[in-house]
Amino acid sequence: MAASLFRSLSPKKIHRSLFTTLSSSKWKVKQVTKHNFNDSFKELKTHISDSDFIAISMEKTGSSSSCHRLLPFDTAETAYFKARRCAERFQVLQFAVCPFSVTHSNNLVAHPYNFLLFPRDELKLGMPTYSFSCQTSYLASMARQGFDFNACIYDGISYLSKAQESVAKIRLGTAFPSLRVMKSCSASTVADMVFVERIRSRIKHWRKTFENTSTSTSTSKDEELISSLRNIVLGNEQFRSRPCLTIDVCSERQVQLILEMLVDSSDILPLLAPGKGGTARAVRIVLANSKEDKDLLERELQNLEEEENKKFSGFREVIDLISASEKPVISHNCLNDCTLIHSKFIMPLPQEVDEFVNSMQMIFPKVLDMNYLMKEIGTSRKVSNLPNAVSYLNNHFFAPVDMEIPDQATVNEGKIHGLNALRLCYLFMKLCSILKISPSVAESGNKHLAPELEGFTNVFHPCSSNIQEPFNKDINVWTNNTRKVSCENVVFLWGFKFGQTASMLKSLLRASHDIFSGEFDVKLVDKSCAIVVFWEPGLSKNFLEVMSSEEISGDLKELVSDGMRVTCYETYKTMCRVGLWEMDLAESLERTLESSQSDTENGSVRKTYDIHWYNENVINMDDL
Amino acid sequence: MKTQKLPTLALSRALSRALSRALSSSTTSAASESGPAFPVKTVTTVNFEATLSELRHHVRASDFVAIDLEMTGVTSAPWRESLEFDRSDVRYLKVRDSAEKFAVVQFGVCPFRWDPSNRSFIAYPYNFYIFPRQEHTGSGPSYEFLCQTTSIDFLARYQFDFNACIHEGVSYLSREQEKEAITSLNSTYDSEWSDVYKLKNARDIPLVSMADILFTERMKNRFSEWRDGLLQEKYQENQIQGISEDSKQQLQVFFFKMHPALRLNGFTSHQLKLIQLVIRKHFKDLSYVCVSSEASDLQHIVVYTDSKDEHNLLLKEVKEENCRAAQMKIQAAVGFRHVIDLLSAEQKLIVGHNCFLDIAHVYSKFIGPLPVTPEEFVTSVNKYFPHIVDTKILFNTNLILQERMKGSRKSLASAFALFCPQIAAGSQSTDLGSPCHVKVDVEVDDSRSSSWNPGVKHEAGYDAFMTGCIFAQLCNDLGVDFKLHESSQQLALNEKLKKYVNHLYLSWLHGDIIDLNTGVKVADSSPSQSLKRRYPKIVFENIVIVWGFPSTLKASELRECISKVFGSTSVISVYHLDMTAAFIQFSKTELVSDFLLVKDTLERSDGPIAVLHPLAKLLEGGNTCAADYDTYKEICSSPVSERLFADQAKAFGIKWMTKLVEYDLAPQEEEHENPSVQGDLNTAVRFAEKAKPNTISQLRNDPPSKQVSSYGIADSYAAEANL
Repeated sequence: MAASLFRSLSPKKIHRSLFTTLSSSKWKVKQVTKHNFNDSFKELKTHISDSDFIAISMEKTGSSSSCHRLLPFDTAETAYFKARRCAERFQVLQFAVCPFSVTHSNNLVAHPYNFLLFPRDELKLGMPTYSFSCQTSYLASMARQGFDFNACIYDGISYLSKAQESVAKIRLGTAFPSLRVMKSCSASTVADMVFVERIRSRIKHWRKTFENTSTSTSTSKDEELISSLRNIVLGNEQFRSRPCLTIDVCSERQVQLILEMLVDSSDILPLLAPGKGGTARAVRIVLANSKEDKDLLERELQNLEEEENKKFSGFREVIDLISASEKPVISHNCLNDCTLIHSKFIMPLPQEVDEFVNSMQMIFPKVLDMNYLMKEIGTSRKVSNLPNAVSYLNNHFFAPVDMEIPDQATVNEGKIHGLNALRLCYLFMKLCSILKISPSVAESGNKHLAPELEGFTNVFHPCSSNIQEPFNKDINVWTNNTRKVSCENVVFLWGFKFGQTASMLKSLLRASHDIFSGEFDVKLVDKSCAIVVFWEPGLSKNFLEVMSSEEISGDLKELVSDGMRVTCYETYKTMCRVGLWEMDLAESLERTLESSQSDTENGSVRKTYDIHWYNENVINMDDL
Repeated sequence: MKTQKLPTLALSRALSRALSRALSSSTTSAASESGPAFPVKTVTTVNFEATLSELRHHVRASDFVAIDLEMTGVTSAPWRESLEFDRSDVRYLKVRDSAEKFAVVQFGVCPFRWDPSNRSFIAYPYNFYIFPRQEHTGSGPSYEFLCQTTSIDFLARYQFDFNACIHEGVSYLSREQEKEAITSLNSTYDSEWSDVYKLKNARDIPLVSMADILFTERMKNRFSEWRDGLLQEKYQENQIQGISEDSKQQLQVFFFKMHPALRLNGFTSHQLKLIQLVIRKHFKDLSYVCVSSEASDLQHIVVYTDSKDEHNLLLKEVKEENCRAAQMKIQAAVGFRHVIDLLSAEQKLIVGHNCFLDIAHVYSKFIGPLPVTPEEFVTSVNKYFPHIVDTKILFNTNLILQERMKGSRKSLASAFALFCPQIAAGSQSTDLGSPCHVKVDVEVDDSRSSSWNPGVKHEAGYDAFMTGCIFAQLCNDLGVDFKLHESSQQLALNEKLKKYVNHLYLSWLHGDIIDLNTGVKVADSSPSQSLKRRYPKIVFENIVIVWGFPSTLKASELRECISKVFGSTSVISVYHLDMTAAFIQFSKTELVSDFLLVKDTLERSDGPIAVLHPLAKLLEGGNTCAADYDTYKEICSSPVSERLFADQAKAFGIKWMTKLVEYDLAPQEEEHENPSVQGDLNTAVRFAEKAKPNTISQLRNDPPSKQVSSYGIADSYAAEANL
């Protein structure tokens, strides 16, 4: 491994790398609350457009625990279901964003921001969230790190997801129906013609009155008074000091007809007056002075709409900004972070993992997961604890990284929250330098992600294979300690005596039936549930059949009589999909079986994924 | 003087609030004219132990104790809010759901004592920050609680200090949790298995890396050197030669229970495992033990023992000691529950304001899981708290007090301002206080005060104080003479109070009162209740719950399309649960089963009738489910809380579209026969025909190819209705 070359460190070099870690305690991050959001947003906008990468990191109110946490035998599918549950339950309280650019091989310029979020119901519509879950142990550990809950709840920035925004606009009646003229899909009927002719003549007459007045009046004060009086008397309306006419409509079709009719007009701008339920109530026709004036008005209205939108989207603006920039996003747990972003800021998470991956690709085209990059250097260490990962790299490898944070002066003292995004930048650069990857490649003036890194983008699979090819059997670098096993050969087993170890269970099973004469392994998942892996294909099916058949006899019968139950991997998958989460796995599986018995006819398409069997874990788990 | 540790990273706002609090308690003795802030003792982990003994004394001496709770939320989903259509058992299920899901973050306790010499009450307001931080590890999976966004925002508006709560809130264990922890502790310490466990950890580590092998070898040498030194010149200092200063720190020589021992410091868990392995493999006379004590964390020790017996004796001793330490830890984790135990043990009269939910919270947090039925709950509560009185019951059911409340809002603060204006204003100078007004002094940290600025509303300590003041005043108005009462029990048994004690509002909206002594529901006869009823009398057997219909469907449209099938008088009322769910109350019980049957039949057919039937509008989208009222109750009892009721039903596991119910026909209602499920269209058509015979026959003749939208049909009906 190339990395081992770096392990021989001279004392001087150690000193140098230690120095870089020490300096990290002096890093400062700009804290953003609702008070300085607008200003910070403008700043961030320029920083993002100038940057090469964007590191993100979130602080939530909880993470999955007990059997809901990611288990070594999870497939991409079950891992997604677990992440989805987590994303839906817990709340983001802090979102750190750090755009950075790589100036040369080991120098980076970072602009760290830390946004405090709170899902305040600003519009009194029960959005963005009615309630959220908190894990006490999680909150307590956040408190130990000095998290300021008051700042977060009092001054956190609120937001609405894209889906919620459109719902909110419809409910508040401020939705602007699309101004674009839709291609007329049905042939015009006689009624349509009559309607169009009537409106046309009405507009013509209305225009005429203005032409008359504009020719006759020569800015005399009396005339002005008279014209304004006439406006009042005739009920003429004004829109942004331009004359306007309101035409009531009673169907979408009529709106369409009016818009089609006016599409070629150079000085008339049709506007839709929104009604309840997202449909147009009336069409307002504004008469501009000229073509230029019309364009001006159009732009003015567009800006107004954007301003209006900001009120709804809140912090989501930042997500939209990152998404629009199409820059590679760096995260330390791609699946968890992306499910969270998707569910809070875009729309509810889809049913299936494939849909999610597709949807995510539209939002962030490239997400780099640091966990996978970390594995590349030959360590099994997870990046779950970023400071530890950073110090691990500092102690084991020599790869100096110079980090420059230009805006330090403007950051208020003592606020160091949201350092994780900054640490991610640092870690990323360090890993790139260790792996001798130049993070971005300049190609015809544009910067691109290095091809070596492409393989690490959008990996939503929990342990190894790339999501784009989940069936890939090629052994990746980090899977050398795992043995692959098909889900079909895995059986879940529970209902054994409390306190039994895996090895006790294994010998018990071996003595119980002939099926266990071959090679198999037992691993405890928790205190009450274990998985049995049959290395010989087909045996798991036989075992399940034996367990449910009447010929069951001997010791196995004894075990079953004592309450032992088994089920296939499919049940586990169903459990994750439906979200039947009880306190422990045995209880959850039992409930899944109960409910699936009631609708066996709803057979879903069976897919087989490969999961990885950690030989190392077998030994360690034996002692539980 | 009050000790209040300020959270290190508190926001300036929280800081200023805490400071003003600290200041207030220091200035209360001076009682300056500028009006100090309301004195209340804030309790966190920092001063909990000291406060507990002080509070114990005050509770014992008190006549009654007022309580108030602040929670992280009230309802876990919009449809779980208290509704007009909630039967009392459903109402209880909703309360239970709320108490199980949300956390209590602040607990106000305020004992009141009658001071005969001053002819006034003395209140001792305490404001506890509590947070279930699970100090006792190993008690199951990590605890989760729900936060309702609006409630958190509400707390923030009243300057609730979340940092104080999460950083320093007093933790607790319920009785049930404590019992569980002790059982699991006993089972681990009883079984042989647990002892083996610690040693077995080391068994299977393969010495894979070179570093491990070298480390193991080095450790083996060190231990044997030490042991050999011991054997050569027994019990003498300085026998360890060749061990560097560094390793002396790692292996600290001391005597453990009269045995020479080495304390292992600064090793990683992996290294400790390796050491365990070395000891077990190579040294018969050395043993590796883990000792946990109250004072410090787990200690890893290697002990020298002369003989096998001595070794076993030592292990036994260590085991017992560890067990004791674990028990102490559980005791410490009980935390805030000591306050509840105190209230329960002293059997004082507990005073709350609209406190059914509060009591449910107290039960679920500090006693155990809430029972399934309100009756069981009530009897159980009565066992722990024999005397509870609700101020809201007092002023709503007493006619005289009712008169005084007329026109004013029923919130705690407004009742306080109405009944105790001089206390609310904070300036109860002795000459102004009229004899009909009860005088209340506040005592915090042995300094008494009788004037202050109004406290912070919705702070549990102040709310408890207000509740207590209202109660004292109401007792006075009812003619209860405090001078004659010696103890709290007597106060609760007072003739004039007796009929209010242990009566709680199960549902304020409904006026359902439950008697905690008997579990019997008492109807609220107060005039306000009868005025409040906006809806016709609710007959639960006549109710159908429908969910999953298009969200654009209004209640009037719902009523209209059902009336078309079952007659214009068939529907008494329609009540929206949320956007896609509604209750429909029929005029007759049999209409419930009829409706469900028609719906079921329509769903089973896919012919033109299903499209053209008036109910098609309701069934649009194909997700409309319907069932009787009992199904609603079942769905309510589910621990899941989805935002929409339709999603909730799905999550609950309902896969059918219609739940058919059998209705036993009463003999006098003959015109309706009980239709059997035939699975064909006849029934549906027959019922439809009853309403509009002509239209239906017309529609039936329509060729199915002709596209007629359900809207079109609705229009034609409307047109006909206009004729």
